[in-house]
Amino acid sequence: MREQQLIDHLFRHQHGKMVSILTRIFGLSNLETIEDAVQDTFIQAMVAWRNKMPENPEAWLTKAAKNRTIDLFRKLSAEQKRIPKIESGPAAIALNDLFLDNEIADSQLRMIFTACHPILNPKDQLSFALKTVSGFSSKEIASALLLKEETVKKRLMRARKAIAAKDIAFQIPQGPDLPERLNRVLEVLYLIFNEGFHSNKKELLIRKDLCGEALRLCKMLLKNTFTRQPKTYALFALMCFHSARLDSKISAENELIDLKNQDRSKWYFPLIKLGDSAMVKATETNEFSSYHYEAAIASEHLTAKDFAATDWDKILEWYKRLHELQPSPFNFLNQAIVQLQRKDYTAVLALLKQIDPKDLEQRAYLYYGTYAEFHLAKKHKKQALEYMEAALKLVKNESERQFLLKKKGQI
Amino acid sequence: MLIFIGPDYGDLGLSPEEIQQRMGKWFAWSEKMNAAGITHKGEALLAPVRRITGTERTITDIASSEVKELVGGYYIVAAKDLAAATEIADDFPDYDLGGSVEIREVMVFDN
Repeated sequence: MREQQLIDHLFRHQHGKMVSILTRIFGLSNLETIEDAVQDTFIQAMVAWRNKMPENPEAWLTKAAKNRTIDLFRKLSAEQKRIPKIESGPAAIALNDLFLDNEIADSQLRMIFTACHPILNPKDQLSFALKTVSGFSSKEIASALLLKEETVKKRLMRARKAIAAKDIAFQIPQGPDLPERLNRVLEVLYLIFNEGFHSNKKELLIRKDLCGEALRLCKMLLKNTFTRQPKTYALFALMCFHSARLDSKISAENELIDLKNQDRSKWYFPLIKLGDSAMVKATETNEFSSYHYEAAIASEHLTAKDFAATDWDKILEWYKRLHELQPSPFNFLNQAIVQLQRKDYTAVLALLKQIDPKDLEQRAYLYYGTYAEFHLAKKHKKQALEYMEAALKLVKNESERQFLLKKKGQI
Repeated sequence: MLIFIGPDYGDLGLSPEEIQQRMGKWFAWSEKMNAAGITHKGEALLAPVRRITGTERTITDIASSEVKELVGGYYIVAAKDLAAATEIADDFPDYDLGGSVEIREVMVFDN
């Protein structure tokens, strides 16, 4: 029975690989044809493997991709589409070599950089990356990003058009372009990760998929000498630390559990270890990114053996440094929450007063919730209740509403 | 004989993940039959259809997108009667995609 089990997500990952390799051969202008062709290969595999799976499914798929390449050459030249000349001579990489592991990784990185290219609308980048790099369908992207499928399709279309119109090169940027382009790639991965980690509206399975994808792509960046940088390590560490807690964040009833009440034995320690070693590599520099500080904060929470043992002074310090680098009202809010734990109520109030709840947009309820906690700590029951009411009025997400209601009951 | 009829997979816009899951269901079905000692063999059919009709032998090529119901494959299974075959067909994986199974008894000539 086991022998007929495929590796989880094999097709999805293989899809990303094949689309990247074929794009490297045929160019971005043929992307849609390529995606269709790869899709066909999987349908073929599904039917062909119905009764007996090949001994090496990956090799089967790679071979199928090579055959597809030849088919595509015929198809595209018959349609008189623009196809690049296959160079010959020692400088050209032979077709076969493009299917070697390191060249596949290289092609995939090119695709990641394409998806995060600055000419694309930032909103489109996420959808496009999930589609071409990660092999999600429009429907899957829609449910992962909480969008309508039509919206996703529009975004994908717009991204393809932009790429075609600007005729962008399918490359990993080099030299002076690299730092900024890499920053955007890291940002997009960070966003994909957060879509998985923070949204409580989604099923756990989808959330794990998104977090897993972001981790996988980040790991890919760590395998390349140009993109393997301290900030990449820091982002990777951050994702590991957060992912380790994903299961303990949600109860069996899909209720949100705050850090204080999470079952710490449920944390996934191999990921914490992985994050720790990434953090060592990340700190081999004096130049710290926001990911460094966020990872440091996450790590601090994980180091504490229980909630009471949390080193709030250190966490506060990291938040302050993060704020110097990247000022945001959310940072003030987080600092206020930390000061609340440190029982420095003057500081809590001073911080809250610096925040305009409008800047927090749909998460303004957190601001009122923190005020409620503050009054509760000061034993101002009446005000605590008032602020909790205000928070409840603004909260949209059901599991967070339940969470606040529970807290209100405790006042 | 279990004849599988339904839309062509290629026209359903399945994602790689869904294709993999779908395949897992076919594996599971096949394994369940193996475990129960039910011999089964069969073929899957590619989508394009060429139809030849009439004394004129008129040839029509039909794309899968033009037909909703397409014979996609078959299994020949060993079952003692129609009820037993029906039970086997209960695990056919593609009912949710609009697929159906037709059960036909293979005629055995005893001579």
